[in-house]
Amino acid sequence: MSIAQSLENIGFLSDFADSVLVYPIVLSTHLTCIALFGGMIVMTNLRLLGLTFNKVTITEMITTLRPWKRLGGTIMICTGLLLATSEATKYAPNPYFWAKMTILGLILVHGIVFRPFVYNRTQELDQSTVIPGIVKVAAILSLVLWTAMFTMGRLIAYWEGPAK
Amino acid sequence: MLLQNTFVDALNDAEWAFPLAECIHIGGFAIGVGSIALVDFRMLNLGLRHETPARILKYTELWTIVALVFVVFSGLMLFLSQVHIYLINQIFPIKMYVLAAALVYNFTIHRKVATMANPPPALSKVVASVSLLLWVLVVFGGIFTGFLE
Repeated sequence: MSIAQSLENIGFLSDFADSVLVYPIVLSTHLTCIALFGGMIVMTNLRLLGLTFNKVTITEMITTLRPWKRLGGTIMICTGLLLATSEATKYAPNPYFWAKMTILGLILVHGIVFRPFVYNRTQELDQSTVIPGIVKVAAILSLVLWTAMFTMGRLIAYWEGPAK
Repeated sequence: MLLQNTFVDALNDAEWAFPLAECIHIGGFAIGVGSIALVDFRMLNLGLRHETPARILKYTELWTIVALVFVVFSGLMLFLSQVHIYLINQIFPIKMYVLAAALVYNFTIHRKVATMANPPPALSKVVASVSLLLWVLVVFGGIFTGFLE
């Protein structure tokens, strides 16, 4: 039995996939997090690009929204894990799923790489009159990665199995 | 290789239009609803406390409107591509009613209270909670339209 099959056969996960209501509720929660917390990520990046919230400090944007983004990220990962593991045999061969996981990895790398230049340097950035290029690069990359992330997430549903 | 074939097949069949509209729909509501949620979070005292809700509304309003226009148009495309399925769906009309309520609410009561100079804190909190609830219900309605008939 493959790992994917064993995962799917775990009692509560198979019950979960078979339930008419639970699966869409968990998926809706996953999507609600995109709306609430994904929107915060977009707005923070637009602030870093100087496109809106110009009189709000970068420190305020990043520090006050950080706990909410973390909460949203945690809910997304938990609901995503439930969705993927309950249908593990469908997800395991799906190239879009792995593309999405790769992008998730890149988002973590993005956070680690840019932390010293952007996210841990906000007070310094607020004192500067221009937004440095590296901050804008970080914001654009973040927007690109998150767009790719939800696009791959949607495309998972469209893959019909390996070409025959 | 596998990924490449999948992409090409999708394009050849011109079946990419529906998922593309779905992605615009999702990206649009992330910006549209997310920007409204920022105003709500402020009204609930949960973030950006150094700014007034009115200022946050001012910063986000244009983004909200442009994003919601994209959401509505992409949604209309999705609807028109499979009208017969949506018309017999029992959840879809409920989603539309809640959406209409959320839109009207957002540009009337919500806007009014968010721009008030000194609204009673309880009023702000109730108005923001109702706003969040309405938009969350719209998202749930969208997913349930796809799952229940």
